[in-house]
Amino acid sequence: MATNRLVQQGVKQVKPLLSLDRTEARRRVLNLYKAWYRQIPYTVNAFYIPVTVKQGREKLRELFMKNKHVTDIRAIDMLVIKGQMDLVETANIWKQRNHVMMFFKDTVNPKPTDFLSKFYEGND
Amino acid sequence: MASRICQFMRPLAYSVARKNVLNSIPIVYHKFQVRNNSGAATTTPTKYSTIATRNEAIRQHLTQFGAYVAECLPKYVQKVDVYHHDELEIMIHPDGVIPVLTFLKDHTNAQFMNIVDIAGVDKPSLENRFEIVYMLQSIQFNSRIRVKTYTDELTPIESACSVYPGANWYEREIWDMFGVFFANHPDLRRILTDYGFEGHPFRKDFPLSGYVEVRYDDEVKRVVVEPLELAQEFRKFEANTPWETFPSHRQLEGKYQKTTKPEEKK
Repeated sequence: MATNRLVQQGVKQVKPLLSLDRTEARRRVLNLYKAWYRQIPYTVNAFYIPVTVKQGREKLRELFMKNKHVTDIRAIDMLVIKGQMDLVETANIWKQRNHVMMFFKDTVNPKPTDFLSKFYEGND
Repeated sequence: MASRICQFMRPLAYSVARKNVLNSIPIVYHKFQVRNNSGAATTTPTKYSTIATRNEAIRQHLTQFGAYVAECLPKYVQKVDVYHHDELEIMIHPDGVIPVLTFLKDHTNAQFMNIVDIAGVDKPSLENRFEIVYMLQSIQFNSRIRVKTYTDELTPIESACSVYPGANWYEREIWDMFGVFFANHPDLRRILTDYGFEGHPFRKDFPLSGYVEVRYDDEVKRVVVEPLELAQEFRKFEANTPWETFPSHRQLEGKYQKTTKPEEKK
């Protein structure tokens, strides 16, 4: 009985967000990656940010790889939708310099790990 | 709406009765529950003078209209409720957003031409945690109605923009605040939060203080965003407002009551 219910949950029909299967979701992710990749030189130029194109592309790769554990097709689609909106905001220059630099987090100090530096920091 | 809808509906009910399909009506009626929360208003109207008294006639008209809508759209309407005294609420399946809204807008007996607002409600304990509430107004019948549906984080809801163009920004707001995706929306993007903002602030699991803090940095000459760190003692929030909102409805508990009562006697 319990297994029946589990199986039913497993095959529960859900409304697709964009993609119907994994390959389609994968294609959307790759397309988004390519679009961002090609946009980066223009972004670096237009916003006049202290970042090279190479660094920008590394950051792009890092941000995409951050979500590589996501396997749910709809979750992937949701991330693609948000990434696409972000790309539009960047490409149309609705963002400002600081919004673009938010990806890089260059002013955030890494948290102290060892005892002494935690002590100097004054926390805990 | 009340009287005028009734005017329209009386001949309709008459014709239904003549065709001997009246048998179907009790079946429809048992499908929804009309709440009978008879408030203190009827029993002690003098004590709570600010609470509106209930008008049975209006209430009955709304109930009838709700029954009529449920009868017309049996596939989508799941429940009809008359809240408080005169607030009609129709709960629908998420697939039925377009048909129900189109019906309410275009039907002669409804004519809810205006969309007043679309609201979202987050109830994290439910399986479908988000409620989307469409508030409609009928100028013709001077009446309002609420249409409620539900979804979860990843299930798209059909956009109401094809029926009500005014729903455009409301749906953008819901998308921004709750992260509910509206399919076939003409221009779905953020509306209230800043570019680069992550998360959906009206979700219950979004902390009150947010995840990041924003400040101007003199060294890099721009606004920077940094993860928020609050010391533990600053993290205790009180849920109550510091002001007393309803002093006359104050309920004193336990020892406070004991200490104040003798003072009043003096």
